[in-house]
Amino acid sequence: MTTRIKLRLNQQQLELIDKTVKEGEAADRAELVRRALKEFVQARPTSPAAGE
Amino acid sequence: MAASSQRKILKELTLEPGTGKALEVRRGQVLRIAQTSGRQCADFNCFNLHDYKEFFHTGRTRHLHGLHPTKGDFLWSAPPRERPMMAIIEDTVGTNDVLYPRCSGFLFEHQYGLPVHTNCHDIQAEAQREYGLTPDDVHDSFNFFMHTGVSPDGHPFIAENTAREGDYVEVLALMDVLAVPNVCGADVMKTSDFELKPLTLTVFEATAEDWRNVPDFPKLRNQRSPADFKVKNIKVDRELYRDESYRPEFVNVPLVISELEVELSPSEMESLERLKATGKYGDTDAEVLRYVVFTWWISRFMRGPKHASP
Repeated sequence: MTTRIKLRLNQQQLELIDKTVKEGEAADRAELVRRALKEFVQARPTSPAAGE
Repeated sequence: MAASSQRKILKELTLEPGTGKALEVRRGQVLRIAQTSGRQCADFNCFNLHDYKEFFHTGRTRHLHGLHPTKGDFLWSAPPRERPMMAIIEDTVGTNDVLYPRCSGFLFEHQYGLPVHTNCHDIQAEAQREYGLTPDDVHDSFNFFMHTGVSPDGHPFIAENTAREGDYVEVLALMDVLAVPNVCGADVMKTSDFELKPLTLTVFEATAEDWRNVPDFPKLRNQRSPADFKVKNIKVDRELYRDESYRPEFVNVPLVISELEVELSPSEMESLERLKATGKYGDTDAEVLRYVVFTWWISRFMRGPKHASP
């Protein structure tokens, strides 16, 4: 059972995502987003609020 | 004293208290600003010698190098030029400042009741007048040997001056510049420990060793020149009036919002909900996920300082 999240992004933000995908960091936009979530959480294992 | 023994000296002079000097420093020349007895702040302006509208910018320099630029850092010009104008190749003290603005006549009149007083703005203006610049052309200064900090509650402060006799900074010109150092005129502020002292200036021809101390720097299409401007000529009158032919041409406008749909597994949703519960990243799942994506991107891929809190 998955949940669909709809990110609201402008064309410049999508350009950055597409550029990153094109550079081989993920297979597609959605995979890049999931990777970001995974690595963001891994970097903040005990204190998710720290870091920004 | 790296490399100085092999350098050819082109000019030497002493800056007396209350004064400054506009110096033509060509690409490949080094300007040394040295202490005589120590504990003296030097304010500094810098212009492209062939186009005075390109000038040193504290903001971009602060952005890229922090509040205390030192050896290995650059003096950047203002947007949209954004080129390294000079490189700091030596700094024996390490207490430079790009946080504080220059002191001014207003400041001494307002804070001290002294309407006629040495101040960095007026000293700069008088020195720059030799090259036809006006008091409006003086820009925020690079403050060499100015020991500053920021308190935990966010207020800047001036600390005791730690420069000692013989200490110096050296900047290598990466383009032909008009370099304008001055002895800071603030004798009733902590800047120079309440005594104005002379500074010595030396201009050298840079050696190969000097150039090796200059880090690589970016050369990008967005480091623009007047050739890129829609208005190419400098406005010569003071009044502002509307150009009736003006039609806005903002970049990438309109900004069009679209939706990127992403499917998250139960464990990914659990992580997202935990982040949302902190209340720091947004009010909705989508806002939190967007925050995560770009924060992650910055930490993973962005060049230069991240500007993220610890």
